[in-house]
Amino acid sequence: MRRHSWIPAALLAALFVTLGAGRALRGGSGQAAQAPAFEVDPLWPRPMPNHWLLGSAVGVAVDARDHVFVVHLTNSFNARTEIGAASDPPTGECCRPAPAVLEFDPDGNLVRQWGGPGNGYAWPSANHGIAIDPQGNIWIGGSAGTDTHMLKFSADGRFLQQIGRVAPPPPPAPSQGSAAGDTAGGGRGGRGGGRGAAAQPPPVVPPDSRSTAQFGGAASVSFDASTREAFVADGYRNRRIAVVDMTTGAITRFFGAYGAAPDDAPTPPYNPDSPAPRVIVDGRPVGPQFGTPVTCAELSRDGMLYVCDRSNNRIQVFQKNGTFVKEATIAPRTRGQGAVWDIAFSRDPEQRYLYVADGSNMKVHIVDRQSLNVLTSFGDGGRQPGQFLAVHSVATDSRGNLYTTETYEGKRVQKFLFKGIAPVTRQNSGVLWPTRR
Amino acid sequence: MVGAFVALAAALGIGQAALDAAASQQTVEAPRFEVDPLWPKPLPNHWVLGMTIGVGVDNRDHVFIVHRQNTLQQTEAGLVADPPVSECCAPAPPVLEFDPDGNLVNAWGGPGEGYVWPESNHGITIDHKDNVWIGGNGNPDSHILKFTHDGRFLLQIGEPRRGSQPNSNSLEHFGRVAKIAFDAAANEAYIADGYGNKRVAVLDMDNGRIKRFWGAYGNPPKDTTMSAYNPDAPLVRHFRTPVHCADPSNDGLVYVCDRPNNRLQVFRKDGTFVKEVQIAPRTLGDGSTWDVAFSRDPQQKYMYLADGKNMKVYVMDRQSLTVLTSFGDGGRQPGQFFAVHSIATDSRGNIYTTETYEGRRVQKFVFKGVGRVTTANQGVVWPGR
Repeated sequence: MRRHSWIPAALLAALFVTLGAGRALRGGSGQAAQAPAFEVDPLWPRPMPNHWLLGSAVGVAVDARDHVFVVHLTNSFNARTEIGAASDPPTGECCRPAPAVLEFDPDGNLVRQWGGPGNGYAWPSANHGIAIDPQGNIWIGGSAGTDTHMLKFSADGRFLQQIGRVAPPPPPAPSQGSAAGDTAGGGRGGRGGGRGAAAQPPPVVPPDSRSTAQFGGAASVSFDASTREAFVADGYRNRRIAVVDMTTGAITRFFGAYGAAPDDAPTPPYNPDSPAPRVIVDGRPVGPQFGTPVTCAELSRDGMLYVCDRSNNRIQVFQKNGTFVKEATIAPRTRGQGAVWDIAFSRDPEQRYLYVADGSNMKVHIVDRQSLNVLTSFGDGGRQPGQFLAVHSVATDSRGNLYTTETYEGKRVQKFLFKGIAPVTRQNSGVLWPTRR
Repeated sequence: MVGAFVALAAALGIGQAALDAAASQQTVEAPRFEVDPLWPKPLPNHWVLGMTIGVGVDNRDHVFIVHRQNTLQQTEAGLVADPPVSECCAPAPPVLEFDPDGNLVNAWGGPGEGYVWPESNHGITIDHKDNVWIGGNGNPDSHILKFTHDGRFLLQIGEPRRGSQPNSNSLEHFGRVAKIAFDAAANEAYIADGYGNKRVAVLDMDNGRIKRFWGAYGNPPKDTTMSAYNPDAPLVRHFRTPVHCADPSNDGLVYVCDRPNNRLQVFRKDGTFVKEVQIAPRTLGDGSTWDVAFSRDPQQKYMYLADGKNMKVYVMDRQSLTVLTSFGDGGRQPGQFFAVHSIATDSRGNIYTTETYEGRRVQKFVFKGVGRVTTANQGVVWPGR
């Protein structure tokens, strides 16, 4: 019998260092760092009615009353095994996709649900991200290859505004073997022949990071109440921040990494052993550009914009006018989908801390906002409370509690109760469970 | 939209909503449970579970589970990519042993010297001598493995790699075994055989020899190909694959899960048919009768039935085969299920469940005594705040 020996501690330690996690615990001036402490609430939210299920949960936001809004992908279910009640004929008593947008009160009761196609607007093929603007309206992006717009709704789901042009309908399927044509630019179009088969998805809309007409897979958005501007993380195909006039919905300006003009040229996959070198022009850094996707653009109270350059494991910080301020890498050994998925601010007046959702490493990093140093982290992989499978989005409420959603097969929203500021004792606190009753 | 739901409810037969409403007024004496949301403890080494397709409890109330390492994708198991793409996660070894407090105390399994590890391990049970038995439902799997409590190989039963062709009359091998259960007094093992075969097989626990076998209604099994289950047609005279459990009770009966037929059949230990019942008979596809476990009172008065299609556990009166109540619903939170696949009880009457597909969990439901409960579905059985 070959016994699975426990992975030796030394090997684990080596992995840990290799993956670049050995940066925590470093407080200023030799003192133990302080950071917010949390504890998962394993019984939040309350179970939903109607055998409703949450799919890949790709956005979370909190309104002024601490109601928690979640958006999920209603088409992310396995028809055979998961949503038998929605089959025709039904194959079982359970389950059905919940509506795309779910609103929970602070106690976790589902109080409203809406979303999906309707009159006067095109629901995104893959809704992505949810944000609540200063007027209490709800903004939703879309990450699918055909999604080029955002939608704005009232808090109860009444359609208000479309931002960005809706992609024109895909052209008629070309005959077998024809060239991919002009709808499949940027080297991303065709997976070769076979188009025209019924299951073939519509052609991807090529990126255009200099467009003032449309987005390229808008991932999330944040708002500047004073100037009535929205900052859009754009996105899954584009490589930019797009700034929108909230009154007119017009894209008024945009910028790429380091505040330079964005560039849609494909980039090789991030390689921690040979990271792309900085590009300096006229004494200023202009590259490497953002990878795709650009998944967050969060504006702090003191006017700094924090951008998630996910696949490059990178946070870049800008002034509101797009002037580059600084950058940091998180878990720089992370490959593939990257470590910087979403950012939320702590709710103290100074917004001292950033919470960074890391869906590759299955944890949330707690970062000192000014220094961008990782103070500590929590979470681990798994399906139990406080564990994660691809933690995708993060938000905070007025009490400092933290909410996360998980995509892929994570398919959850979780609440982490704020337990005050405490000394950091570990680089990763693991699973933050309440003490036993 | 509302109309659609009503239509759905009606289509599921019997106006389930109306029945539930009426039933919620009614109560019955039955075992009560409460999920423990913090059991088991987190695994070390960034280990995660794949499809978790077996659970067994030993005589010290240690809980064994078996799961499928090869069902983890890179989005979950980036630590074992070459080179690693992330700090998390890695597949846990296939067999995990937890103590009653939920601490992982041993982990083993996988290919080794002298035996063929199943292509798709399935079911785990612990016999009265503390040995561990594992089946397999991969396409070629046709054997059973027996290990000591801590994973030393003891016995391979049945010729391996013969499972691609069913043969429910074979004495040489099985057809993709789902589960093994034991009659300690007779030193016999009951095999739910299985995903290829359509029979119950009974073994000598020491030498592994197949002593007898039977099909539905105790008839000789036939490997007939059947059309899909039709709830409006008469009950078929054969098991459908998979035959998913075959559990002997302590009063000499054997309870068999005829899963896609939504049916439990009860036999005497010699294979004589006694009775049958259908559960959630409108269920299509995977079926409703996935696994059974008995309550731990001396009479084994109650039976717990895992229904991975309707995402719940039924609490049944074992003698009458009536459903007293049920608990659970679909979802990823504690006490919810995604394809609850296997079920077992410990000496204190607690229930353990495992979930396959993307459920990938083991959950513990703490026994709270027998009391009045609704005859309707209890939904998610959470502890009080």
